Amino acid sequence: MIKETMTPKDRIEAAIKLEPYDRVPVAPLLNSQFPARHKGMTSAEGFALHDEKKFQALVDLFDEVGGWDAMLYPGAGLARNPEDSLSLYLWQSLSRKQRVFFGEGLPVNSPPQYAEREVFTVDDYDEIIRLGWEGFVEKNRERPAFLPHDEMIAWARNRTAQYSKDVKRWEERGIPTLIGAAVPSPLMYLSLMRSLTRFTMDIYRIPDKVQAVMDTLVDYFIKSSIDITRLVGIPGVILILERGGCFYYSLKIFERFEFPYIKKMTEAFASEGILSILHFDQDYTLNLPYFRDLPKKMCICELDSKTDIFKAKKILKDHMCIMGDVLPSLLSLGTPQEVKAYCQKLIDIVGKDTGFILSSGCSVPDDTKFENFKMMIDTAKNCWPHG
Amino acid sequence: MSELADALVSLNEGEVAKLVQRELDASVDAISILNELREGMDIVGERFKSGEYFLSELIVSSEIFKETMKVVEPHLQPSREGDKLAKMVLGTAKGDIHNIGKDIVATLLRIAGFEVYDLGIDVAPSVFVNILKETGAPILGMSCLLTPYFESMKETVKAVEAAGLRDNVKIIVGGGIIDERVRKHCGADAWTDDALEGVEICKKFAQEVR
Repeated sequence: MIKETMTPKDRIEAAIKLEPYDRVPVAPLLNSQFPARHKGMTSAEGFALHDEKKFQALVDLFDEVGGWDAMLYPGAGLARNPEDSLSLYLWQSLSRKQRVFFGEGLPVNSPPQYAEREVFTVDDYDEIIRLGWEGFVEKNRERPAFLPHDEMIAWARNRTAQYSKDVKRWEERGIPTLIGAAVPSPLMYLSLMRSLTRFTMDIYRIPDKVQAVMDTLVDYFIKSSIDITRLVGIPGVILILERGGCFYYSLKIFERFEFPYIKKMTEAFASEGILSILHFDQDYTLNLPYFRDLPKKMCICELDSKTDIFKAKKILKDHMCIMGDVLPSLLSLGTPQEVKAYCQKLIDIVGKDTGFILSSGCSVPDDTKFENFKMMIDTAKNCWPHG
Repeated sequence: MSELADALVSLNEGEVAKLVQRELDASVDAISILNELREGMDIVGERFKSGEYFLSELIVSSEIFKETMKVVEPHLQPSREGDKLAKMVLGTAKGDIHNIGKDIVATLLRIAGFEVYDLGIDVAPSVFVNILKETGAPILGMSCLLTPYFESMKETVKAVEAAGLRDNVKIIVGGGIIDERVRKHCGADAWTDDALEGVEICKKFAQEVR
């Protein structure tokens, strides 16, 4: 094992600030299902666990592998702002629309999934533009709700209290939490709400209208995210960016409908001292040069193995930290030796000097082999980048 | 490139509709219109492969094609067995409800001339096998986007074997997290994480099984 001379918090901060570290930090993106599966439960049981038990399952996993350097999320779910009914609407409108859970046809070992359904119509675009997001929400408050308003507020209050409690308990163990709030880009949100195909057709058919809706949404997205980070005291926002990259769209579309909003959001967050964790699912390789225009040392480029992480290092190494990208199939089907070889390569090349956090590519899959998960953690602790 | 193909390649929805109507009014053979549209789609595909076009251009052109076919189809003669490239059974693996990639591939396969039996999402191995038997389709495509469903795809391949169909059915697995490791695990013949590449592989399969 490498002789450690830094605390996990200092090591993570060094990676983010592009300063030297004693070794590459490791921080898997976890939900409650893999820790629960490891304890012999099903994904459904893991998902349904009381928040305290979810937290305990995470702690048990952490202890069993000898710990890691940071939590992305501290426990179960996200904090919600009970004072911000618009934010709750945003969450509800997404969840109501798309999430499909166990008992709704999914097997017990399935992660909850998102179904591709249209919630917003083109008429909704008109209404959002005409009324503003706040007015739109007020007018449609009941439409997507699945919890009565009072219950929703109480739920949000509990959620945030639990989040803060979990953050504090990790802090007591010397482990920082990186994410205070999660928010999609306007493109991601509208793509989810309209469905990928319909939204893509919108971009071609009614581009000005789409842009006007995005302009309406973005300021609210920024404000609500900042409010939640203040509420839980974690100056970090994860930007969910899964549908705006070069896998789906040309750079011309990216330049108009995605990048300006990423830039505006990250700059607003940076001005408040808030770190942006750019959660890129799918391929963003061609988009990488744009990210040099985002606030320096105030972003993490989090990759899922579809973007060329080695190109990301070349392009962004003096600008932002890179995180990722142990691929899901490797964690789920590979051998510990294969995991070690993959992580070693990442550490050697992407981790060289500084600016890298070893992590899973997107969330650790529910059916990850424990020995593979442990090998990912161990490799960070045992392997120093080759010169 | 014909004017109609060019309009489709340019993703000019209004122009495509106008030109198709003009050709139908002039009693141009519907199969000739279909071929012009396919020519356009082939060029879109080439531009996609060269990196000039992206998935969104494939989606938009496919949608225009689909809409246009609603107008053209009533003028086409009923297709005969030999008109289609091959029959193909397609679906998302049992447990998985993701459909974006599968739907795009289904559309592209139909445009390419396949007779596609799209079984939708969350398809059980026995359902795949039954439809393969019923249709005699020589190609099976399965997709998933989550690791737990690698097992569903593997079980389906086993079920195809158990039904005695494996020697006559080519199997491709696809999806955003699919790779060679997953293909091997499932016992499939090919894998892809790219819609158009998936169609190309199926075209090769179609040639092999003829």
